[in-house]
Amino acid sequence: MSVDEGRGSVPGSRKALELSGVSKTFGGLRAVGNVGFSVAPGSIFGLIGPNGAGKTTVFNLITGVYKPDLGSRITFAGTDVIALKPSKIARLGIARTFQNIRLFGQLTVLENVLVACEHLRKANLLHALLRSPLFFRDEEEMAVRALELLKIFDLDTMADEISTSLSYGNQRRLEIARAMMLKPRLLLLDEPAAGMNYGEAEGLKKQIRWLRDTFDITVILVEHNMQVVMGVCEEIHVLDHGETIAHGTPEEIRKHPKVLAAYLGEETPGEDEAAEHAARGSAEPGGAAPETAELS
Amino acid sequence: MTPIFRRILTSLVLLAALFGLELGFERIVPDAAWRQLALFAMVNVVVALSLNVINGLAGQFSIGHAGFVGIGAYTGAVVAANLHVKLGGGPDAHFANSFLVMPVALLAAGLVAGLFGLVVGLPSLRLKGDYLAIVTLGFAEIFRLVIATAQTGGGARGGLGGLIARLGGQNGYAGPDDTGIPQYAGPFWIFGTVTVCTIIAWRLKFSGWGRALRALREDEIASAAVGVDPTRYKVTSFVIAAVGAGIAGALLSSMRDGNPTVQPDQFNFAYSFDAITMVILGGSGSITGAMVGGVFVTFTVKMIEQLQGLDSVQALKAAHPGLDLNALRMVVYAAVLISLMILRPEGLFGERELFRKLRRKLVPPRAARPVVAEKGAA
Repeated sequence: MSVDEGRGSVPGSRKALELSGVSKTFGGLRAVGNVGFSVAPGSIFGLIGPNGAGKTTVFNLITGVYKPDLGSRITFAGTDVIALKPSKIARLGIARTFQNIRLFGQLTVLENVLVACEHLRKANLLHALLRSPLFFRDEEEMAVRALELLKIFDLDTMADEISTSLSYGNQRRLEIARAMMLKPRLLLLDEPAAGMNYGEAEGLKKQIRWLRDTFDITVILVEHNMQVVMGVCEEIHVLDHGETIAHGTPEEIRKHPKVLAAYLGEETPGEDEAAEHAARGSAEPGGAAPETAELS
Repeated sequence: MTPIFRRILTSLVLLAALFGLELGFERIVPDAAWRQLALFAMVNVVVALSLNVINGLAGQFSIGHAGFVGIGAYTGAVVAANLHVKLGGGPDAHFANSFLVMPVALLAAGLVAGLFGLVVGLPSLRLKGDYLAIVTLGFAEIFRLVIATAQTGGGARGGLGGLIARLGGQNGYAGPDDTGIPQYAGPFWIFGTVTVCTIIAWRLKFSGWGRALRALREDEIASAAVGVDPTRYKVTSFVIAAVGAGIAGALLSSMRDGNPTVQPDQFNFAYSFDAITMVILGGSGSITGAMVGGVFVTFTVKMIEQLQGLDSVQALKAAHPGLDLNALRMVVYAAVLISLMILRPEGLFGERELFRKLRRKLVPPRAARPVVAEKGAA
């Protein structure tokens, strides 16, 4: 369909996700303006930017929570998703996690995961009412798959616990497990490393790569933790104030003057301080950063 | 197949028990007032079970459930009374004839109430919380007032107004020849319907559908993000709740030892409120909770009636003629609800079930076996 221009894409293959001219205004406030990028199938793609850059809004536009302004185009594996309802988009194969964890509080860990395969079941409501053999077979298959996923994320021992009783890190992992239950082709992770320490973040990196390789999915990552972003992403798109400021490989992004300016502001701090600033994601736009500075 | 055989056996035993109840109910409960109360409690259990689907499982706050019960009551009454006349009429409702009348009446009541549920649910389930509550309340009141006020000249006018006026307006509907609605719904039909409704409610809750509904209640955006269409699930649950309420209404209007007329004021806001109390008291989302709530609320009313017969209470009433003892019911309600809010804000059972634990112990969880196999494979 489109000309391949992204890095790391398989030649001749379709883009997993394509955005072009995507804008979103809330009242008079322009949260996202004319953002466009394409994600190669099977890649791990990073979407970064300072706080308020519009990263989560982009996720919400892709998943249909918000409808973009006129003229925006979002296609998933060739399908235009703009007119679709969020539930339909999810069923097409776009799964996501949330920045502020959204689990089904009063449901158990296992139930949380099981909800994500409602559309995959063969037994309809009538089967459930009659408790037909198909219903039991369905439930069993789903439960087995759900427990497999929980095992991957080390949650299988707490399958019958109420999800809100889990620790923060486990809740984050449960969200990913739930998203994977959908059998997605594209996984959107919204700040999966938030609140994680160095070791946990390293584990997360491995887990993301492992998920991509095992389930043959495309991953898009919104993240502030540069250790994770630079370590795992093959391609990075940088937003600031809702607009694209850079796009490239981690090495290119690390040295990109506009990115450094957005993250570090006009001041020219030393390298050590720069890293700190980047980690906090505090920034004002504009101004040039020293050439020696790097996002680490 | 053994499971099928077991199912048939269970059904036969249940059926035999229901027949036994039908034949022996007057001997078990000799007092007609208590019989009426027991049957009314069972009708209320069906009301509570149906409201539990939308208020408890789906987490949508509907406070107009009496409207759907009323629609079912009127539909059931019209169908049962007209069929009764077709079958020869007479003052007695024979048990044999009830097998011709009740299935049709229940089905019609469920269908009509479900249709109204769809019409009300489709536009209003876009609303959340208080706004949905207002719409459902408004619907119930519109239904009640349309019927109550239709008698004034409506009969002469013909058309839709004339049809509604034939339902008797404020005085109530008592069949096409005003001899009262035949009371076909005896213990067999009422306890039978309660059994079937309980099984349906249980299976709905413990299925993928019920799980999705509960997920929707917990987080609408997250459930949409995993492919659960909120509108669709909400409307379906609303319609199912309306169907259940309609069936309860049909039982109510044909109830043996009950009121042989259907009056619009039976379905006022107080009744909707009673239904909510039943659900909340037992624990939103809990099926056994809704059943206990239904029985408890019905018997509270009776208890207070009994209280009024006591000599000391009579003396008190004589001393203070302004005292409204019916209002005492509200005091008891309020006391129960407030203590519940303080002691158990999630209701008697929360979302849990009374016999769920027991069942789990008897039958190991279905997934347990394959997991072990999975561990071996991995």
